[in-house]
Amino acid sequence: MSFRACSLQDLTPGEGLRIDSVQPPIAVFLTEEGTVHALDDTCTHQDASLAAGWVEDCRVECPLHESTFSLETGEVDQPPAKRRVRVHSVEIDGDDVLVELSQDAPNLPPGVTA
Amino acid sequence: MIIDHLDAPVPGSSLHPTLTGEAYTSAEVFEREQQEIFEKMWNCVLRADSIPSPGQWKTVTVGREEIIVVRTRKAGIKAYHNVCRHRGMRVCTSGDGKNKTLQCGYHAWTYALEGELVAAPNLTSMPDVDREQYGLKSVAVREWLGYVWVCLSDADQGEQPPSFEETVLGEVRTSFGAVESIDNYGIENLRCGESKTYDVAANWKLIIENFMECYHCATIHPELTEVIPEFADGLASQRANGEVHGASFGEQIRGFTVDGSDGVTEFPSIAPDQERKYYAITVKPQVFINTAPDQVIIHRMFPVSESRTIVVCDWLFLPEVVERVDAGELDVSKSVELFHRVNLQDFEACEQTQPSMSSRAYRSGGALVPSEHHIGEFHSWWTQRVEAGSAD
Repeated sequence: MSFRACSLQDLTPGEGLRIDSVQPPIAVFLTEEGTVHALDDTCTHQDASLAAGWVEDCRVECPLHESTFSLETGEVDQPPAKRRVRVHSVEIDGDDVLVELSQDAPNLPPGVTA
Repeated sequence: MIIDHLDAPVPGSSLHPTLTGEAYTSAEVFEREQQEIFEKMWNCVLRADSIPSPGQWKTVTVGREEIIVVRTRKAGIKAYHNVCRHRGMRVCTSGDGKNKTLQCGYHAWTYALEGELVAAPNLTSMPDVDREQYGLKSVAVREWLGYVWVCLSDADQGEQPPSFEETVLGEVRTSFGAVESIDNYGIENLRCGESKTYDVAANWKLIIENFMECYHCATIHPELTEVIPEFADGLASQRANGEVHGASFGEQIRGFTVDGSDGVTEFPSIAPDQERKYYAITVKPQVFINTAPDQVIIHRMFPVSESRTIVVCDWLFLPEVVERVDAGELDVSKSVELFHRVNLQDFEACEQTQPSMSSRAYRSGGALVPSEHHIGEFHSWWTQRVEAGSAD
């Protein structure tokens, strides 16, 4: 069951947008190459918004520490984060960005609950 | 009263008074200078091309504050106090670097290059925190002559930076006059061919006063006086009422070099009057600009204490000259050596003067001869600035 997360117009190439109408919040990214991705917004190491991170080569670097997550698979490349973030399916319908949330359990950092 | 008023010179007298020795030795006076001069006026801090790409930053000290100067992605060059808004740790802990964000190493408060707070642990659960309000404290920035200028006027105290047009551009244009325009040199398009840093054990005012006069030239600058024989008359390029005089090269002199040999490619658009002349001006409080037909020499001073000043001197040439130097096809060492020697000679004199400033023999100061009387204009300006602070 998908929902409308945002409009394409809300997105800036190379940046993320935090959507906190769902719990845990998700981040929608528009890459410089024009692809759209949706991930859990919270880093798995510490409570930080990945939407504020640095997007490059289809990965997002957590703004706090140096772990980067694949926008396609959610896997993490290096510590301090050790667990992947969930990736959600994205469908574009006209200007609407439709997201279907993953059914997996989220990997949230200590102290953060969905 | 720690700052003695300058006695008005007796009309017609040859010797005018200087500041008293204490003006050069008192830590209290120095603190007031930092507060009323260096932290309120425009300071020329670094070359804009020393941080060429987004994310590159350097730290500089202005007055009593450490400042981060960074090239942003979206907003050109910006400058901030190097103080984390959370618990105050230095955000940047070395002299330079290149980063995607500016992050404090204590609790990882993370600032965009443009200054706002973008991330911090648990920040998403503190939605009332205003990202702009808790961004790095910014200071005013201007780019001019290829340099970054900053002004630390305290916005929290309702202070505005003084008009750059009036205080910096105005001073330079007035000095250079309408005809010998500094614009002819196209300084903003020049490249730095050499830079030297001098750690001088002298008060910054001794360095300015030295630069303003040429009564010493024939005694301590043999090479410079060979290139510009008229300096033997003791009259400097800088004159009364802030005017600047183009000092002519000697007849046999081919270029502004240590031995008078040929210089490098001359600036294409200087006026005929500027072709065989040297000009020098002081942009208060910490910049000297020297022009020759093929090079511009810029000094930036960073006072460290009442008895120590760091001086950075850059030699600027046409871009094609620096390219040929980088390629090993051209040597500018004779051009650089002339003013490097002048610098060493001047700074040694200043260092030999500084210890006497606390002598009882200099308690009431010394004397200015007629060719130095215009230094009194600097002293009046200084007295006004520093006394403005004591009225607070």
